[in-house]
Amino acid sequence: MELQKINVKFFATDPNNPPLTDFIDLFHGWIQATDGVYHDVADYSHMQAGPGIVLVANDANVSIDETDNRRGLLYSQKSPLSGSNPEKIRTVLRSALKNCRRLEEEPSLHNKLKFSGSEALISINDRLAAPNTDEAFEEIKPEIESVAQTLFGDADITLERDPDPRQRLNVRIKTSRSLGLGELVRNLQND
Amino acid sequence: MKLRKQGKIDEKVFAETRLRRGIYGQRYDNGQRHDGKRVQKLKLPAEVIKGPDTLWDAPGMMRIKIPFGGVTPEQLETLADLSEEYADGVAHITTRQDVQFHFVHIDDTPSLMRRLAAVGITSREACGNVVRNVTACPLAGICRDEAFDTTPYAKACSKFMMGHPDTQDFGRKFKIAFSGCQQHPCGLVTMHDMGAIAKTKIVDGKEKRGFEFYVGGGLGSVPYKAKLFDEFLPEEEFLPMAQAISRVFARLGEKRNRARARIKFLIANLGIDEFRRLVLEERQKLSPDPRWTAHLATVNEQMEEALKAGVSLNGSERPEGFEAWYATNVYKQRQPGYVAATVTLPLGDASAEQLRALADIARRFVKDTLRTTVEQNILFRWLSEADLPEFYRAIRAIGLGAADAATIVDVTACPGTDTCKLGIASSRGLARELRYRLSEKSLELDQAVKNLRIKVSGCFNSCGQHHVADIGFYGINRNVKGFQVPHFQVILGGKFRDNAGEYGVAVGAVPSKRVPEAVLSITEYYVRRRLRDESFQDFVRRIGKKEIKDLLEDLTKIPAHEVGPSYYTDWGDPREFTLTDMGTGECAGEVVSQAEFALAASERELFEAQLLLDGGRPQDAVKTAYASMLRAAQGLVKTQNPGISEDEQQILAEFTSRFYDTQLFWDKYAGGKFAEYLFKAKEFIGAAKSADADRAVQLLQEAQLFIDAAHDCHNKVRGAVESPVKITTAAQPSA
Repeated sequence: MELQKINVKFFATDPNNPPLTDFIDLFHGWIQATDGVYHDVADYSHMQAGPGIVLVANDANVSIDETDNRRGLLYSQKSPLSGSNPEKIRTVLRSALKNCRRLEEEPSLHNKLKFSGSEALISINDRLAAPNTDEAFEEIKPEIESVAQTLFGDADITLERDPDPRQRLNVRIKTSRSLGLGELVRNLQND
Repeated sequence: MKLRKQGKIDEKVFAETRLRRGIYGQRYDNGQRHDGKRVQKLKLPAEVIKGPDTLWDAPGMMRIKIPFGGVTPEQLETLADLSEEYADGVAHITTRQDVQFHFVHIDDTPSLMRRLAAVGITSREACGNVVRNVTACPLAGICRDEAFDTTPYAKACSKFMMGHPDTQDFGRKFKIAFSGCQQHPCGLVTMHDMGAIAKTKIVDGKEKRGFEFYVGGGLGSVPYKAKLFDEFLPEEEFLPMAQAISRVFARLGEKRNRARARIKFLIANLGIDEFRRLVLEERQKLSPDPRWTAHLATVNEQMEEALKAGVSLNGSERPEGFEAWYATNVYKQRQPGYVAATVTLPLGDASAEQLRALADIARRFVKDTLRTTVEQNILFRWLSEADLPEFYRAIRAIGLGAADAATIVDVTACPGTDTCKLGIASSRGLARELRYRLSEKSLELDQAVKNLRIKVSGCFNSCGQHHVADIGFYGINRNVKGFQVPHFQVILGGKFRDNAGEYGVAVGAVPSKRVPEAVLSITEYYVRRRLRDESFQDFVRRIGKKEIKDLLEDLTKIPAHEVGPSYYTDWGDPREFTLTDMGTGECAGEVVSQAEFALAASERELFEAQLLLDGGRPQDAVKTAYASMLRAAQGLVKTQNPGISEDEQQILAEFTSRFYDTQLFWDKYAGGKFAEYLFKAKEFIGAAKSADADRAVQLLQEAQLFIDAAHDCHNKVRGAVESPVKITTAAQPSA
């Protein structure tokens, strides 16, 4: 199975702080600081447990997502990536972590935003290519497991598939201990 | 798509082809975006375009037709999946019962369409110059007042008209609506190109079904009320008559000038009697088609089934908040023991998870009896009343238990500047803000205010249906001391009831950030000054525009840019609204151009025209409105020829040569439409035609749009050419 359209979500430790709408100005600032990478900011702050605030781009969206009432940074890779499946997953994880760090270090947020280093959610955003079935999970599990082991170093990890067949192939990675974002990034770089 | 990429399909042909499959361009599809400081060229491969000025990879919108709003749990689940995989995780319900996805990549659309088709939905002819989604009252079949259920007729009409050879050569879109009754708003028949209100009559001792049949309505920049075509069109004649109308429209409707191409203009030009004659003549030429009546064999059968027996509410335990929700969101069906409940979707948005949860809730309580509504909500029909407490708990758990259906809190809005490339101001941003503020005050609102409707459009094109709201708004921009400032034109007194029975009138423009105050001011004034049981429409009519304008006068002002910069941005968007860097005066003296004086004078004159119209003097109102347009035109000419005289002919000639012929006055999307309002008014005055109230209302609305366009044009050209004069104020410092 060739994976594309990979999403990664890292969860915030505080689900309410800072206010969701703070990210509107912040993302507009990111647009100004780049040169045509991002298209726009979509504001869904009026929705409960929705997509939150989405920074839309051609290749990948970045959002402060509140699905399942769990706030986190969702990185949604849209354009095709090259390489093996583990390489693609690593690429998306790296990009997601880069954005998480950028947000954690954002002065305007006054250290209010921290991400948990003990959990990550990987979703394959393509039900046609990767249906949420036992078979599909068994097929990609070793690939995700190998990348997850690299990401979380020597920590024990568990992989859980979302049992609802209507959902995308969502794989939740949990570890026994929490790592800092810096360590997670280093682990991937050392790979 | 392959052929387009190979350059084998013309860009305009491809554009109309994709539009007819529901694939729209979206804001920034030309690959450029102003980030608040500069224009950025978006990083998109630009080798191919999907239509004039539309880059292939630019984000797009996909509109999906939901005929009569009927949707099943299975379809909701598919919409949920597709919104996650191809859009931004949100399905948006439109003001015409459609569903829209945003930020869709065109290369994904074939898969998207196939997956929609697998559950019986299509995006075919959701856009383009064709018959759009056929809408119908969401209460059809369960309504206490309807003559009969219009659902099977709407369904048959949608199927018959889609792809029909006689509907493929229109100059513009064509919208159809059905209503089961005369007095309620759900169908909004009179604002449609073609509309049908269910009616019965006794013929030879038997009840006969038919429709009160209307044509030629439409909102858009200048709203037209539909004309009565037939007091009673028998049910078997509906589809052939629709076909005959399509043929006449395709043959005689305007094709070159998009601004005059809706059927309302054709009917206005021909007159309803001549139009009717032509259609009836066409009807005689049609060969019989079995599809005209195929659906009639089953129209009397119950189309929907309830999941459970209808049991009344009685004494079951009611959760907190239930009573308030019940009061606003629940409608008792005519079938005993059953109710319909509105699930309000803030701004019409539902997340993928919410859609899946709604599908589960539907399977648990009602089977597949759901309808989207023109107020951007979802209606659950055939609920056993006894299930309501549990139903309420279930929708509240997914954040959709707001007790605000059909109230002032449930603000309707088109996408506006969020995603629409025609948007001028942020309609969704304003709607979101109004919703927050009004929700907070909801419990203390007077019932008369609570029952009002607010509708917001991002521009004059009326997708937010502002004309039929009690309080409506459409986005415009105004120049304030050298800065462009988002404003909303305030439209009061529209009537949602009686199938969009009355259109509101413009009372003045308010800066976007002051609109919430304006709403508060208007509603408080209404509560304070209304007569006993006086409707909002009657109240607006009685006190008149002058009093309302006076009421809003203070709210038209904003602090200077350096004092209150947030007034120069729009809701939910920190970018400064201006697109050009404008200089401000170095002292308390303000630089005001001759054109700005003239534009301000034209607004005053137009207001005088409105007062004349209110005073029952349509003829004088028309003349004054024309004079106001002429004043605005003169102002623009002054930017190039400061010596322009007061002579009407010279103003018209110079406006034409300097601004119309050069296309300086042209709107990017509407072309020369607004300038033509001036020429049309001149023609009307010149022909010494007498103006009835309807024509006067139209001409005044056109004058307002002309003046708005003059403001836009002036903003566009100022800086390059203008003739400033210095106004000395008391605060001017000494040299």
